[in-house]
Amino acid sequence: MAKPARSKATRRDFLKLAAAGAAGVAAGPFISRNAQAQPKTITFARESSYVKNFDVHFQNVMMPAYEKATGIKIDYQIQAAGGSAVPQLVSMVENKTGADVAWVQQEWLYRDALVDVSDIAEEVGRQQGGWYDEIKRLSVDKGKWKSVPKGNIGQLMNYRKDWFDEAGVKSFPETWDEFLEAGIKLKAKGHPFGMSMGHGFADNYSWLYPLLWSYGVTVMDKDGKKVALDSSETAKAVEYVKKLYKEACIEDCIGWLDPANNKAFLTGQISCTNNAYSIMVSAKRDLPEMGKVIEHGLNPKGPNGQRYHALVPVTHGIFAHSKDVKAAKDFLRWIMDPKQYRPWIASGDMYFAPYLHAFDKVPEWDIEPRVKPFQKVLETGKLTSWPAPANRQHGEVINRWIVIDMFTKAITGTPTKNAIAEAVSQIKAIYG
Amino acid sequence: MAAPARRPFRLAAFLERESVFSWLMLTPPVLFLLAFLGYPFIYGVYLSFFHKEVARAAEFVGFGNFVKLNNDPIFWQAVRNTIIFTGVATVLKAGGGLGMALVMNQSFKMKSFARAMLLLPFIVPTVLSTVAWQWILDPGMGLFNRLLVVSGLATTGPSWLGTPTMAMISIIMVNTWRGLPFFGISILAGLQTIPVDLHESATIDGAGTWGRFRYVTLPSLLPVILIVTTFSIVITFFDFQLVYVLTGGGPANSTHLMATYAYSLSMGAGQMGLGSAVALSMVPVLGLLLVLLTLFVRKD
Repeated sequence: MAKPARSKATRRDFLKLAAAGAAGVAAGPFISRNAQAQPKTITFARESSYVKNFDVHFQNVMMPAYEKATGIKIDYQIQAAGGSAVPQLVSMVENKTGADVAWVQQEWLYRDALVDVSDIAEEVGRQQGGWYDEIKRLSVDKGKWKSVPKGNIGQLMNYRKDWFDEAGVKSFPETWDEFLEAGIKLKAKGHPFGMSMGHGFADNYSWLYPLLWSYGVTVMDKDGKKVALDSSETAKAVEYVKKLYKEACIEDCIGWLDPANNKAFLTGQISCTNNAYSIMVSAKRDLPEMGKVIEHGLNPKGPNGQRYHALVPVTHGIFAHSKDVKAAKDFLRWIMDPKQYRPWIASGDMYFAPYLHAFDKVPEWDIEPRVKPFQKVLETGKLTSWPAPANRQHGEVINRWIVIDMFTKAITGTPTKNAIAEAVSQIKAIYG
Repeated sequence: MAAPARRPFRLAAFLERESVFSWLMLTPPVLFLLAFLGYPFIYGVYLSFFHKEVARAAEFVGFGNFVKLNNDPIFWQAVRNTIIFTGVATVLKAGGGLGMALVMNQSFKMKSFARAMLLLPFIVPTVLSTVAWQWILDPGMGLFNRLLVVSGLATTGPSWLGTPTMAMISIIMVNTWRGLPFFGISILAGLQTIPVDLHESATIDGAGTWGRFRYVTLPSLLPVILIVTTFSIVITFFDFQLVYVLTGGGPANSTHLMATYAYSLSMGAGQMGLGSAVALSMVPVLGLLLVLLTLFVRKD
C-alpha cells in the first residue's frame, strides 16, 4: 500500500522540479540580456601566444587601462593554438555571433563578413612609417582594408650551432645546395635535419614555398588565372627535396604536424628545422644549455640567386555581426596607437614583427641578437599566394596541402612528373 | 436516476496518467535529439546540394558537389583509406576482444582489477590518449623505438608516422587499442550468459576445448559479436580525433579518412557544401559495409 503512494509522490515531485527547471531555462535569456546591457563589453578573440608575456601584458596592462579610459570591459577569449582557431572563427562567421574583434586567421575565407577598417589602417600607416607592401595584398581586398595587420610570425631555419661547428659547417649555408651538403655531413654525425612536410599549417610551407620560389617557380601567375607550377624548374625543386629528405633528413619529418619539429629539436633528434623562434624560447626556459647553442639562419638562396621567406601574418579584423561596430573600431584604433602598440609588441620580444616601417630601426630588435634575423623575413617575405592574390582558392590549395603533398608523394614513390601533374590538376580544379 | 457526477479535471492527475506521463518523459530527449542530431544532419544534407562558401550565400548546384568529388582523387583515396582503416581495425578489435573476453572469463587473482584496468583505453578521452600515443610513437624518444633499441631487436626503430604504410598501421593500431575493451567487455557479458550445461553436454558428447569453442561458445556469442561489430564499424568509420591529432591525414594523404577530409574541406578550405557532400557520402559507404557484414554473418 505504501509503495504506490511513494511512487506517486516521486512522480509529482519530479514534475514540479521539471516545471521549475523549465521556467528557469525560459527566463535565462531575459536575465542574461539584462545583465549584458549594463557594462558594455567588447569580445576580443586571439590564438594564445607562444610568448606568454604577450598575453599577460595585454591582460594585466592593456585591458585595465582600456576599461579605465572608456568604461568598456574587454572579454579576452584566448583560443588554443594548433589549428582550432580557424574552425572557431568560421563558426562565428556562419552563426553571426561570438567575438567583435579577432585575430582573423585565414581571413580570405570570410572577408565578406569583415567590416571595412581602411580608416584605421591608413591612419596607422601614416602615423608609423607606412606599411610593408606585401601585407597589403592580404589585408586590402577590392581597394578596402578588411583587417589591420598586427605582426608577422617570422619563420627561419633554427639550427644547432654546436653540431654545425662539429661537422665543420662554420657558417649557415648560403644556397640550397650548400644546405644539402651540410645536411649530409650532419646526418652522418647522427644529427639529421628535420624539415616538416606533413599536414601542418606553417612549418611545412615556410620552407617549401620559398624553396620553390627560389627555383623560379610560383604556384599561380600574377593574376591568379593560370597555374604556373607546371614547369621544369618545379621538377628540379622536387628532385632536390627528394634528395634532401633521403640524404639529410630524419625519416619521420614527412608526417610531421606543427609541434613535431619543436619536439624533435628540443629532444636533440634533429640539428635543423624551419620554425618560428619558439624553439629558442622553450630551450632558454627549460633547457638552458641548449638555449645557448641555437641559432637562426635565413632560408638559403636558390638557383635564381634569390632568397625568400614565407610570411605568417597576424591581422585583426572586426566582424560585421558585432553589435557595436563603432566601439570595436575605437578599440582596434586604440590598440594600434603607438602608445599601446609599441610596448605590447615589445612585451612579446618581437615575436610578432610589425609590418610598419617605423619599427625598422627600433632598439627592441636588439633585445636578443638571435631575434634580429627575423627582421629580414619582413624584407624578403612573401604571402603564400605570391605573386597571385591571397584569395580563398589559394587558401584551399594551402589547406588541402596540395603543394606540400606534391613533394611528399614524390618522396614516397610517385614519379616526380606524376606528382606534379596531380598537383597541377588539383589546383586547376580549385581555381576552376 | 441521477446523472453520474463528472469528476473535476485535475492537472496533476492528468499528467500522472501513464499515456501522458510517458510522452512527457519522452519529449525532452526527442527534442534534444532533433536539435542536436536531427537539425545538423538535415542542414548537412541541405548544404551538400549547394555551393556554399563561408560567409557567402548558398547557391543550389544539385548533384554538382558529388560530381566534383567523383573527379577528386583525394576523395577516392579518403574512401579507400576509410574502408581499409575501418575493416582492419574492426577485425583486429573483434579478434582481440574475443581473446580478451575468453581470458577475462577465467578465474584468476585480481580478476576484477584486471577487468577495470582493461577498460581504461575506452574511458580516457581520445584526444588525451592520442597525444600520449604521439609520444609513444616518436621515432627517437618514443617508448616503442626505445624498447626495440634497448632490447636489441633493432638498431633504430621504424618511423611510425613518417611513411604512408606505417602511418596507416599506426592509426589502426591506436584505434584498435582504444576500441578493444568495448569488444572485450561486451563479449565477456555474452560469455557469462552461456549456460554451463551446454558445455557439459558437449564435453559428454566428446568435444574438446576447440570443439566446445567452435560449436558452443562461438554460435552463442554470434548475436553479441554482430551487434558490437556493427556499433564498432559505425564508430570507427566516423573516427576523426585520432587521425586529426596524430597525422592530420598525412603523409601525402595516406591517412586521410572521409571524416578528416570533410573537415579539411569545410573548415580549412571554407567549402561548406563540398565538405558536407563528403560527410553525406559516408552514409552509403557505411551502409555498404554494414550490408556486407550482415551477408557475411548470414552465410556463416
